[in-house]
Amino acid sequence: MIAVDGLTKLYGDFAAVRDLSFVVRPGEVMGLVGPNGAGKTTTLRCLAGIIPPTKGTIIVAEHDLAFDPIAAKQLLAFFSDEPRLFDYLTVRQHLEFTARIYQMKDARERSAELLSMMELEEKANALPTELSRGMKQKVALACGFLHRPQVMFFDEPLTGLDPLAIRRTKDLIVQQAKQGVAILISSHLLHLLEEVCSHVLILKRGEKIAHGTLAQIHEQFREDGKKMTLEEIFIRLVGEDAGK
Amino acid sequence: MQRHSEFGVHLRDSTMTAALRYLLAHSLLNAVLFRLRRLRQPKYLVGAIFGAAYFYFYFYRFLFGGGGKASLHGGDPSLVPDAFWPMLGAAILFIATMLLAWVMPDSRAAIAFTEAEIAFLFPAPIARRTLIIHKLLKSQFALLLISLFFTLITGRFRAGADAWFRMGGWWVILNTLNMHRIGASFALQRLRERGMANWTRRILALLVIAAVALGVEATRRSLPPLPTEPAALALWLPQLASAGPLQYVLVPFRYVVSPYFAHTLASFLAALWPALGIMALHFIWVVRADVSFEEAAIASAQKRATFLAAHRRGENPLLTGKGKAKIPLWRLGLTGFAPFAFLWKSLLRFGGRRSLALWAIFFTALAGAAWYLRGHVTEKPTTGIVILAATIGLGCYLSLLFSLITLGQHAAKQLRQGIADMDLLKTYPIPGWQLALGELLGPLLLGALLQWAAIAIGTFLGTTLLAKHADAQRVIWLIAAGLALLLPMLNIAMSILPSAAALLFPGWLKPQEAATPGIENTGLRLLLGIGQLLAIAIALVPPAFLGGCAWFAIGKWTHHLEWQIAFTAATALPILAMEAALGIAWLGDLYDRYDAT
Repeated sequence: MIAVDGLTKLYGDFAAVRDLSFVVRPGEVMGLVGPNGAGKTTTLRCLAGIIPPTKGTIIVAEHDLAFDPIAAKQLLAFFSDEPRLFDYLTVRQHLEFTARIYQMKDARERSAELLSMMELEEKANALPTELSRGMKQKVALACGFLHRPQVMFFDEPLTGLDPLAIRRTKDLIVQQAKQGVAILISSHLLHLLEEVCSHVLILKRGEKIAHGTLAQIHEQFREDGKKMTLEEIFIRLVGEDAGK
Repeated sequence: MQRHSEFGVHLRDSTMTAALRYLLAHSLLNAVLFRLRRLRQPKYLVGAIFGAAYFYFYFYRFLFGGGGKASLHGGDPSLVPDAFWPMLGAAILFIATMLLAWVMPDSRAAIAFTEAEIAFLFPAPIARRTLIIHKLLKSQFALLLISLFFTLITGRFRAGADAWFRMGGWWVILNTLNMHRIGASFALQRLRERGMANWTRRILALLVIAAVALGVEATRRSLPPLPTEPAALALWLPQLASAGPLQYVLVPFRYVVSPYFAHTLASFLAALWPALGIMALHFIWVVRADVSFEEAAIASAQKRATFLAAHRRGENPLLTGKGKAKIPLWRLGLTGFAPFAFLWKSLLRFGGRRSLALWAIFFTALAGAAWYLRGHVTEKPTTGIVILAATIGLGCYLSLLFSLITLGQHAAKQLRQGIADMDLLKTYPIPGWQLALGELLGPLLLGALLQWAAIAIGTFLGTTLLAKHADAQRVIWLIAAGLALLLPMLNIAMSILPSAAALLFPGWLKPQEAATPGIENTGLRLLLGIGQLLAIAIALVPPAFLGGCAWFAIGKWTHHLEWQIAFTAATALPILAMEAALGIAWLGDLYDRYDAT
């Protein structure tokens, strides 16, 4: 579970995120949407313990991130927008290194399972320079899934992928949620989020302007009694900030 | 909700450190294997052979004393100073580092992580302290290599075992400096978090420096007046450093550099313990600092990634995407000769009107200084003024000579960068020769302007020194004018071969390898340099031959040097122009036939 209460992140006088509160329960997938500069990446980085928040409480899988960061981080995974791999570690060595960090006793079996699931067996001994972007993303996903996290944060996971890779990533996210993982995804691809997410949180200039299940959001924003798409809702709410 | 104490963190530290050691060891091993496997490609093999030969012959002199520059003290232990000079060197080094680290810090945290390290390690269950230890451990390999390099180039290996003490000394100095820089950045970050403004911090740092300066001044007053003779000064300065507050201020610096100046194993070991003590104190200071360096590390990693991406594209990272939009030198017309559009773009890339104005101011100031010096040399010549005038004049000519070698390569480099955008260039409805000319025009024009300025100032000062020889002055001016006339065409001719090589062998001349370290890349750069020298020789043969014929032919008709120079230049110029035109046409053909796949 992810529980956020009063999260604020200031850069000097500028509030990148202001007084943000929400909960993502196990099995839920929350889409974090907003125009560029709305504070999505900052929020995700704070929640993953990459940068410290200025104020607020973050609970990740029952652990307070401020008081017990190590225990909290043991149970989370963060996937950045670009798969960033070590230049001189092979695919297999990435998994071995990750296994050591998370102290995985069944790392060998789990690595083999993930290599097979991601169709990376043939590239197991390849360096990142020999991989396509899609393959690099598979490696990043495999490393993130390795320690069976209870909480996952995805920052723009679908951008720049081909249709097949988008489909595969979507399926993996849904599959993880079905296994009880609490997931938070930021993305600009709203039509794809609609297919994956159970909940949506819309940010504008660091503040929450809409939050709820997809059904609640659709119910809340109707035009002449007609259901609006998430994209239409987003444009209506974000207005002049969209496209910046 | 569960809450754990930091105790759990300590328990995990050893396993985490093992994981990070795994990362370092495997990264290093794979990097070496990657480079070895790459040697299967002829390009890297040839580069490695040339590079290895270069390093062998370069360092041979330092390793086995086969010639080259003598080291500072020639490896003679009796000449190694043991008290004052190491202390002074350390003081200067540390004061400079401290000033930089405390007064003008580069970024909020000096500890740098790669983007992969941030992606994998920051969200992982790893304590900050473990991350810092990992970075310090990782820096050891680089510091050892730098220490070895410094020891090699200062010729220390000729002194036998002495070299290992020097290397150890360098390692201690570099490590302490590195940890001091990191510790200072952490301390500054903490002060900022506690609300201390930058100006308050700077004032405090300056107050500390001022207090030390006052102490030094007080000591100076208690000593005899400052001597002017070097020998007396060498005796006076140690007195200053060994009295008053300065002797205490310099103690830690003296300890840190002492191992470097040791010349026996016993003295090295004796000097090592205090130095290691200071290093250990720095280590504890850095490791125990619980400062949130993550945001600064992310910002710094992003900056570095942008820098490297520009570097890989072969662009100058310092000029890429920085600052505001540049003001063009002129408003580009909507129609006209296409290469001028490329020239316009190149000038914008160079910095636009502002950069050109700064260069113009620089050369105007230099010309003003030259005018002033000329007046002094003519009216009240003193040794100092004459030496200064000769130095500036010589500097101008040397930079001209240097530009003859580098300008062609620089222009070819710009053309190589353009190859990265070949998909776009190929869609332009203009012939290949215009593309080639357009890509080369910017750097060559700028280079020619700088060369003309250097010739003018160099000749102006050079002829001043020959004030009593009016004929010689006239000849020098004529030669300079002839050279100025030939230079633009010569520059184009010089740039043809390296540019053609880039188009003919794009796999061999990748922009991203232009400044990448490594023996094989050094070898490749060496090959390119040799090719450039060959290009200069080939380009010069026809105009030099025909120009020489003209010189002798006119010499039979008249003995006026002015006529000889004018006719030689007039003969060589069309030859060079023809070479340049043929070269551009050839490059155009290569552009048209270039396979962008």
